[in-house]
Amino acid sequence: MQQQQQPSNITRRHDPSHPHHHHQLTEEQQQFQLFQESLPKINRLVYQMLLNEIIPTSISVQNRLDESDDNSDAEQLKKLSISEKPVVPSHKLVSQMHEIKNEGRYNNILERIRTIGFKLGCKIADLLVFANNPNLNFRDMDLLAIMKFVCRDVWKLVFGKQIDNLKTNHRGTFYLIDYSYQPIKNFALNDDTNKLSAEELEKKELKSVEPFLELPVGIIKGVLEALGYNAKETICLATYIDLPNEDASHYGFSKGISFHVQVTNTTRQQQP
Amino acid sequence: MSSSAGQQQIKTLKVLGEDVWKNKVEKINSELFTLTYGTIVSQLCQDYDRDFEKINDELYKMGYNIGVRIIEDFLARTALPRCTDFNTTSEVISKVAFKVFLNLTPTIANWSQSNDAFSLIISDNPLSDFVELPIDAMKSLWYSNVYCGVLKGALEMVQLDCDVSFVSDILRGDNQTELRIKLNKVLKDEIPVIED
Repeated sequence: MQQQQQPSNITRRHDPSHPHHHHQLTEEQQQFQLFQESLPKINRLVYQMLLNEIIPTSISVQNRLDESDDNSDAEQLKKLSISEKPVVPSHKLVSQMHEIKNEGRYNNILERIRTIGFKLGCKIADLLVFANNPNLNFRDMDLLAIMKFVCRDVWKLVFGKQIDNLKTNHRGTFYLIDYSYQPIKNFALNDDTNKLSAEELEKKELKSVEPFLELPVGIIKGVLEALGYNAKETICLATYIDLPNEDASHYGFSKGISFHVQVTNTTRQQQP
Repeated sequence: MSSSAGQQQIKTLKVLGEDVWKNKVEKINSELFTLTYGTIVSQLCQDYDRDFEKINDELYKMGYNIGVRIIEDFLARTALPRCTDFNTTSEVISKVAFKVFLNLTPTIANWSQSNDAFSLIISDNPLSDFVELPIDAMKSLWYSNVYCGVLKGALEMVQLDCDVSFVSDILRGDNQTELRIKLNKVLKDEIPVIED
């Protein structure tokens, strides 16, 4: 790439939600915090599980759609004879992913996950806009400020942590790097058969986890869409990157994730 | 069990649930949860072309897969022993499980004569906040069907084979949201074959 990248590390920014900074907050910020705390809450684990279950569910939906395409009569018959079909466990569904040869099917599944992410992203942006956070002023945000908002506020809300690093060339290209992407943090494959080499096992692992990266891709595009950057003019791709050397063990999953975001038309469309 | 001992136990469960919720749980805005679930349901409606039977089924399956895994966290977090009877099970579900995961306590009602089935009356269901169903969905969609799957899966993991289903839902115009749990049988612990 010919453009020079200027890293701008956002992780060290002071976090306004941190209780130790109480005395530094303005009255407005304190009121916002009180308001946030008064909202109904649920357990984060439940949310995380729901979020993760989107992937196997999307695969299951595809299986079922294909099934009824293939033989709608047989489907009807099955419906009559057995009212309750056994549930396929999620891990089995996810492990089907790397065995799918049919590219169309594979892409349909990814597309479905991305669409859910996209719709979710739009709603999350609305949620955060209407939260009236005094630290955010959406009207005056440029693209860089919006990407920072994605890294900090959106990621914190959905995944409970911020993006670790944001890089940009200031011309519409951004790299959002997450070294411990929460939904796959605890994923690892075991080789029961001892037939695979370490390399093959890792390849299999990365391939199985791939669909989990489509959800945040959709979310990023959705947030950008909601804030005035048309989805047709943004590209977002997720790839694996190596973890920084020092201590890979505390990151969990063996690879970090890099989201490459490209906005081709950087003028923001004013919403009506 | 004398009724006062029973009362005591219920009180303890209530305290336990509140304590775990207050001190041992990372919390998030329930609005985010509500709209994420809504997004999933709306995508299913699109995929299955508003075939609500299939959507109910898919939500149930999704719940089942969550249930079989969430029970592990539940047992680890609460350190509760096995329930001695189905009465206790009902109390644990309402006072501890729902409290710890969703911060609500459904009312237990409508015990069957043989004590093998009860209802949970869920008010303030976080899944259906701000939700209004279109007319065609009101007749056949169980919007929160994921709960049934979760309970089915989780109970199965503690050797209780149950039927779980909704009886009524405010979203369908009923005056309360009622979920029915019926015990089919207590599954036997597998004993390994003894080898000589």
